[in-house]
Amino acid sequence: MEEKLSSVAKTLTPSPIQQLSFLAQRCDAINLAEGFPDFPAPLHIKNAAVSAINSDFNQYRHVEGICDHVARKMKEMQKLDVDPLTDIVICCGQSEAFAATIFAIVEQGDEVILFDPSYETYETCIRLAGGVPVYVDLDPPNWTLNLDKLKKSFTTKTKAVVLNSPHNPTGKVFSKDELEIIAGACQTWNILAVTDEVYEHITFDKESHISLASLPEMQKRTIVTSSLSKTFSVTGWRIGWAIAPAWIASAIRNIHIKITDSAPAPFQEAALTALRSPHAYFDSLRRDYELKRDFVVDMLEKVGFKMQFKPKGSFFVFAPLPGSCTLSDVEFVEELIKQAGVVAVAGCGFFHTSLSAEDSSQAALGYQRKYIRFAFCKSEDTLAAASKKISGLVDDGRGMK
Amino acid sequence: MASSISTTVPTPQQAAGLTQDESTQKTQTLQVAKRLEKFKTTIFTQMSSLAIKHGAINLGQGFPNFDGPDFVKEAAIQAIRDGKNQYARGYGVPDLNSAVAERFKKDTGLVVDPEKEITVTSGCTEAIAATMLGLINPGDEVILFAPFYDSYEATLSMAGAEIKCVTLRPPDFSIPIDELKSVVSKNTRAILINTPHNPTGKMFNRDELNAIASLCIENDVLVFSDEVYEKLAFEMDHISIASLPGMYERTVTMNSLGKTFSLTGWKIGWAIAPPHLTWGIRQAHSFLTFATSTPMQFAAATAIRAPDSYYEELRRDYMAKKNILIEGLKSVGFTVFSSSGTYFVVVDHTPFGKENDVAFCEYLIKEVGVVAIPTSVFYLNPEEGKNLVRFTFCKDEETLKSAVDRMKKKLLKK
Repeated sequence: MEEKLSSVAKTLTPSPIQQLSFLAQRCDAINLAEGFPDFPAPLHIKNAAVSAINSDFNQYRHVEGICDHVARKMKEMQKLDVDPLTDIVICCGQSEAFAATIFAIVEQGDEVILFDPSYETYETCIRLAGGVPVYVDLDPPNWTLNLDKLKKSFTTKTKAVVLNSPHNPTGKVFSKDELEIIAGACQTWNILAVTDEVYEHITFDKESHISLASLPEMQKRTIVTSSLSKTFSVTGWRIGWAIAPAWIASAIRNIHIKITDSAPAPFQEAALTALRSPHAYFDSLRRDYELKRDFVVDMLEKVGFKMQFKPKGSFFVFAPLPGSCTLSDVEFVEELIKQAGVVAVAGCGFFHTSLSAEDSSQAALGYQRKYIRFAFCKSEDTLAAASKKISGLVDDGRGMK
Repeated sequence: MASSISTTVPTPQQAAGLTQDESTQKTQTLQVAKRLEKFKTTIFTQMSSLAIKHGAINLGQGFPNFDGPDFVKEAAIQAIRDGKNQYARGYGVPDLNSAVAERFKKDTGLVVDPEKEITVTSGCTEAIAATMLGLINPGDEVILFAPFYDSYEATLSMAGAEIKCVTLRPPDFSIPIDELKSVVSKNTRAILINTPHNPTGKMFNRDELNAIASLCIENDVLVFSDEVYEKLAFEMDHISIASLPGMYERTVTMNSLGKTFSLTGWKIGWAIAPPHLTWGIRQAHSFLTFATSTPMQFAAATAIRAPDSYYEELRRDYMAKKNILIEGLKSVGFTVFSSSGTYFVVVDHTPFGKENDVAFCEYLIKEVGVVAIPTSVFYLNPEEGKNLVRFTFCKDEETLKSAVDRMKKKLLKK
């Protein structure tokens, strides 16, 4: 009965990240693979959710207050004027906001530009909507945007570009210059931009997150998606949003209503409390994650990784395997689980472009199989334990093969 | 809402030559996908706004004005406190999948593998969307029975399906088997059924389900069965089509927590299907919402394992409410069509002399102070529903009595 599956569904494979989690669970390994915290969510927010359930906020609802707060924060952080009544759609996580956006704007055959490496879900949403993903490589080691590569990717069929900044898996934060290049291209080619800004509050080294929508002429053609999940360590609550000009937001809202109808009601209520958190909350979030970043970068350097590029945002480190290491990323990850009891993610799952025959020197082909993603959204204890286990490899003389 | 699309994007040279206004307009008309023609603001939102404005009693929107049981709310609170706040396994928290399987076995006798045959989704609405997107290709024929819940048509059009509609008619809304036979062919990919049925309250009986089953087996057709109201079955027992011979392998059975436990805002639903169909549903689901609200899933497992007494009391309570409403509607002068299940009833409003269902509902809100839903939105061809409106009785008894009183006082027959 396999023929009963839709053609798109047949091409999909299970999430490589989830597969690794199962292996890790079986080996009882320390999980630095999956991108969610193992420390508790902030108490004041959990209390707000409990209170909401007890106060009977349990039926279908749309909590307009969320839109007011999101608009306020956009003004504060990005200097953007957003109308909370018309420009914001509350969804079940950034996942659904993104899916609804793609369904709102992508037609059969439309091309959508993505930057490689990229989070695995974007491409599949685009294909489910009948679109064609077109990848533009970011250049290692600093994952810089190459204007020529970007220019070459546009065709008459290009409908939109997807920008994830701060970036999963590399931890890159797109610079003002790079954003201006992307903005210029969007205007020249008259295309839309869809951003994933879930790590917007997690930036380091005094780096600020700049939303593409805040650049001149960009608000009217940009859909910003984000959520509570990463900022408030509640990835399981499914509260996210899309911000767009009213005529697009309306379309996204209507689709969201048909996909899920409403985001979980008590958590919408709790979102009000979360979004009202004082500046101190965001400052300490950033500080804590920066310390964790430093710890993990340090740990990796001690065992032989050359960390030329340090993440400026998100809670991921994308570490290149040392030159002396002959293993591929997948092989390394398996060895790391078996020998050190630590799980990370092989970077190949984030790369999508297959290099053409012309530039297929060994070195060029190589880099897409040589990166490992470590998540540091974990408690100090977890990170310390991981560090101990990984350092143990070096001490034993086995080192990084 | 712009709905016309051109597939050509101006070249950089052309784009540079456009004025600001022209450029904006072009952006607006070019960019919105064709599928949005089906996605307008819902009638429910419109009626609700009107209701608030006029202080009307809302018997339109299908959610309770009373809350869910404490034991379920406490389970959710406990889960939040226990730190169950991060991403759940994409296709469901293991304990919930098990609870759903246990319940399904109890209700239908079917034994399913919770790991391979159950997918948890953000409400039954998402189960429907994931099923359509995971199992329907553009151009596939899908049969719908009108009147139908409004998300069916929208998600089918998202999947690019060819919709064929068979209308159920008063007074019984029984399945016109001959008409169905003439519509089903080897080209049919799936039939979508909803039993107990929103908006009519009709329940598909064994003969009807057998007839549908034969056609499906003969023509190799899938069935998508929306059974969210199966615990609100009053006049007869609910039958899951998946339990009929030869049917499990081709059926997706969809359900949710919300209606049974008066927690419609929690968004916990599920789809039960054989592994080869579950695969497609899971793929679509993982890219629609990725995962479902974690603490609510833990609470849902507790809820579903409620003793039989919970379900019996639920039915008793709803039957009492139904009687209040139906007696009231009859005494006021509506032609009331018997509802066997769900918490909805449809009535013929024509004794009151309004030109159609929307006009009647507006009159009912403004002059009488009660909300009903015009059923024409539930048909492909709105004309077919213009004599009917839908009332809900998922409200506390005081509210129902007040609504009936208002209608007795102010609703004037022509």
